[in-house]
Amino acid sequence: MKKILIPVAMLALLGILIYSKAVGTYNQFVQLEEGINGEWAEVQTQYQRRTDLIPNLVSTVKGYAEFEQETLTGVVEARSKATSVQIDPTNLTPEKLAEFQQAQDQLSGALSRLLVTVEKYPDLKANQNFLELQAQLEGTENRIAVARRNFNESVKGYNSALRIFPNNLFAGLYGFAAKGYFEAVAGADKAPTVQF
Amino acid sequence: MRYLLASKLVLILALFLLQGLVFAQDFPAAPNPPRLVNDFTGTLSAAEVDQLEQKLLAYSDSTSTQVSIVLLASVGVYEISDYAFQLGEQWGIGGKGKDNGILILAAMNDRKVFIATGRGMEGAIPDALAKRIVNNLILPNFKTEAYYLGLDEATTMIFKLASGEYQADELMSDGEDNPILGILFILFFIFIFVVLPIIKNRKDNNNHMGGRGGGIDFWTTLLLANVLGGSGRGSSGGSFGDFSSGGGSFGGFGGGSFGGGGAGGSW
Repeated sequence: MKKILIPVAMLALLGILIYSKAVGTYNQFVQLEEGINGEWAEVQTQYQRRTDLIPNLVSTVKGYAEFEQETLTGVVEARSKATSVQIDPTNLTPEKLAEFQQAQDQLSGALSRLLVTVEKYPDLKANQNFLELQAQLEGTENRIAVARRNFNESVKGYNSALRIFPNNLFAGLYGFAAKGYFEAVAGADKAPTVQF
Repeated sequence: MRYLLASKLVLILALFLLQGLVFAQDFPAAPNPPRLVNDFTGTLSAAEVDQLEQKLLAYSDSTSTQVSIVLLASVGVYEISDYAFQLGEQWGIGGKGKDNGILILAAMNDRKVFIATGRGMEGAIPDALAKRIVNNLILPNFKTEAYYLGLDEATTMIFKLASGEYQADELMSDGEDNPILGILFILFFIFIFVVLPIIKNRKDNNNHMGGRGGGIDFWTTLLLANVLGGSGRGSSGGSFGDFSSGGGSFGGFGGGSFGGGGAGGSW
């Protein structure tokens, strides 16, 4: 009787150890993931804010009849494209994120082209409404940059926790997968240089 | 063998030092002793730095809003806005949780300036107003090399805009401290007048002719000593706090966070 008891006790102990490690790892990933979800919400909020500013910008610029139409339509098209790419936080895979970023970066490009074109219109540059919009747009770009950096840092913590040795065994079991980063595409890490 | 080990150690040490150097090059460490005005370029005279420091310190003491000025030579490859947010975040300008910090960063060789507002200050000083402060107060003065004047006017305007947003910590913390002290005193009195007599009564029941008078004398003495000691400690603690906050030196940054608010310009 006693001879059986010792191995059983040891097995039970081992079982408890593995179980508690598994639970601990799971909880750790849940916490990290929640952190990422929070940062992602912030990223989306700031991109949304930019999207919301664009109709005002377009209608202000439109008032200047001679203004190049193709630049404007470029912005409007890029905007609708960007709003069509939405990711829900449970699906932040590298591919999805790259798609999201590409759409948003296209909008950034179209916007900076618009703002460069404005250079040729002194009346528009002096328009108070336009100046306010420009300041808001700059602020939003700054906030996007900060939100993206914070998001990347959270993802970095999560991804590296995911790849460390005992964790990688459990993570696959629970279905936690690596998440995507915002890549610094040439010029995309900077706000469109709104220099007038 | 020993030589190899030694050389390895030296290499590791060198790497560590190098790493420290790289960090130091990107972002200066928070000043120690802490200061609100940090001129790394020697643009301002010592007297001007002192004057600004006293002005910002007085404001920080009365409102808890920390306005900090940093003059650097260059922010290198960084956008000045990005650099300002990261520096503000690393130093922790503003109170933790309140995030009521403002950083005025000027890169003298780049001829760029940026006012970064902490998350808690974005309501009081929206980007458009920060932009106006930069365009109307800082840039014209910086163009004529009147750096002190520009910073002085800008901070005055920031104070005006931010006034009333936050109250000083001290008023609140005093209100919080007193109830706790009060409760402690009440508990102490309950212990002395209710719990101890019960314990003593039990003892008395066992021992009908106990030396009761002596016991009371002892407890009364203890009580009086405690009350006196307690009140003495309380008042001395208070005066200590007042002294350290009003003594003319800055107590340190509080861990505030920056979310991308603010505006800048170039002269």
